[in-house]
Amino acid sequence: MLTYLIKTTEGLLSASIMLGLILSYSKTNFDKRGKRVTLIGIVAGLAASIVMSIMKNATSKIDTGRWNLRIFSLALIAFVLFLLFTINGVRSRTKKAGEVLSEAALGVLAFTVLLYALPDVWAYPYSFLVTEQTVLSTDFLYKLIGYLLGIILVFIVGLAIYQGSERMKAAQSGLLLKLVLLVNAVRQITVGLQIMLAKRMIVSNHVLFSIAKFSSNHSDSFIYAAMILAVIIPIILWMRSFRVKEPYSNPAEHRKIRAKWRNTRRWATTAIITLFLCLMNMTVVKAIDNREVELSPVEDAVVKDGNVYVSFEQVSDGHLHRFGYVTESGTQIRFIVIKKPNSSAYGIGLDACDICGETGYYEKDGQVVCKLCDVVMNINTIGFKGGCNPIVISYSIMNGNIIVPVEGLLEYESEFK
Amino acid sequence: MKKRTIATLLTTALVASFAVAGCGNSASTNNAGDTEEASVDTEEVTAETTTDAAVAPGEEAGFTEYPIFEDEEVGFLNVSAVYFQPVPMSNGNESTDGFDIHLEADISALSNNLGFGVGDWVPYLTVDYKVTGSDGSTAAEGTFMEMSASDGPHYGANIALPNADTYSLQITIHSPEENGYLLHTDAETGPGGTFDEYFANGNLVVNYDGWEYTPQEW
Repeated sequence: MLTYLIKTTEGLLSASIMLGLILSYSKTNFDKRGKRVTLIGIVAGLAASIVMSIMKNATSKIDTGRWNLRIFSLALIAFVLFLLFTINGVRSRTKKAGEVLSEAALGVLAFTVLLYALPDVWAYPYSFLVTEQTVLSTDFLYKLIGYLLGIILVFIVGLAIYQGSERMKAAQSGLLLKLVLLVNAVRQITVGLQIMLAKRMIVSNHVLFSIAKFSSNHSDSFIYAAMILAVIIPIILWMRSFRVKEPYSNPAEHRKIRAKWRNTRRWATTAIITLFLCLMNMTVVKAIDNREVELSPVEDAVVKDGNVYVSFEQVSDGHLHRFGYVTESGTQIRFIVIKKPNSSAYGIGLDACDICGETGYYEKDGQVVCKLCDVVMNINTIGFKGGCNPIVISYSIMNGNIIVPVEGLLEYESEFK
Repeated sequence: MKKRTIATLLTTALVASFAVAGCGNSASTNNAGDTEEASVDTEEVTAETTTDAAVAPGEEAGFTEYPIFEDEEVGFLNVSAVYFQPVPMSNGNESTDGFDIHLEADISALSNNLGFGVGDWVPYLTVDYKVTGSDGSTAAEGTFMEMSASDGPHYGANIALPNADTYSLQITIHSPEENGYLLHTDAETGPGGTFDEYFANGNLVVNYDGWEYTPQEW
């Protein structure tokens, strides 16, 4: 649940802030035609992102890196044109052509923002399904809830930024839009560089790779920069709301002005709260989600006559149980036991596999999962060789006990260092 | 009229640049590596990104392999390493959550007297990988699994490698005999060689330094 809450927040937040500012700019500065162009850009971006998402997941036609380069190229050209034709001098000289081009550039920017941000987000439910196999599982539901909460959260951020931005002075909101687009442009250039280096489209050198490495390892900084710029909007509105000096001629007008600024403060508060929640998602919640799984402790088992004895009573509850044998050199050789579902048989194997080593297994929602590679084991195949299954060990069953020979365990001492 | 022409030209340029950006081909550079048997230290590797062999010529595929090193010869083996997007695999390995890349070793036979045809994929190997960061810390290690993709069988694994860095990659190859692979030993049907000829001094190791890696959006 948390993973997809974080993924949707990180994936959509910058786009949401940009779209809020783009829509507000369009509403404030463009005439009917300009607003329509922005809307067309958004609708086309939504439609193209759905097509892209389907193509990415259902065909092998989409090389994401190459497509991102195309999207970035288009967005960067549109950004430069938008900057150029919104400079007062240029706009007044170019008149109608400049107007049309600045409107088209903003529409194209809205299109590229959505086409870049949305395809992966559309596909997340498909990836839950691949993992969970069915839409009827609790895990699928939790992941879906996290996913939807993330989308709702960033949507509210975008809405609050839009509402706040259109209540600001046009010059201020215009400047903020350009700064957010500039942050986006720098990010696109650095990600483009990473793609071109990885694809060997350009020859690497120390400077280029250093830029690519630094920008990749600090990629969250671009989202934080957009958030910092976005939070300026509610701060300015809050400050202005306490220094309102709008003239009024009667109490009704006064009440109207107060209501307007009360409403403005509400949008400002919404923006601050939702941006704060996004920040929490990307920091605190992410840290919680990424914390290392701790293996359950090794349980007591009787060791006598060169065997480890595990009684059925200890392991008949259907949960994963971990046992161990400490060798003369102090190495603890662990093994796991789990009663197989709808069966009286037990799955028994080392708490290690050939592929991931002694990393161990843990139980999550009734499933056995490898701690290193997160592969979910089929409980019925535990005890069989292959893949990430626990290493098979010899054992026997007698008088209500699982008997594991120490000699057999010692063969795998080197696995547990 | 003149301004309308300028606007038309600029719009055309915008659309054309979009098309041109999409027409670029992956560039290739030249290989210049030193190769030693049993321990290969490659200073520089260059290769073009390769697309899935099953894709028709001229067709753009989503399956693009990003080379790490190519055609390092160790023992009777030719070893190449590539990476691409993490992939779902059968037998409980469907989820790609938490993984950044699929790391793959393509291991084929060189001329040998073990019965493998030159260029054949060599089965029954245990292949360990170790990715070391520029600070000397281990970024990822484990044992590859055997699997088939549309371009054939290989040894590979989905791994988490979230940070950009200049990594070293070590690939350690164990003798097929460890996994129970047998050779005919009679004069009439045997290929004439033994695995000891190559593994008498231990496992075969390929070391590659200088893998400049940045995580990609897949």
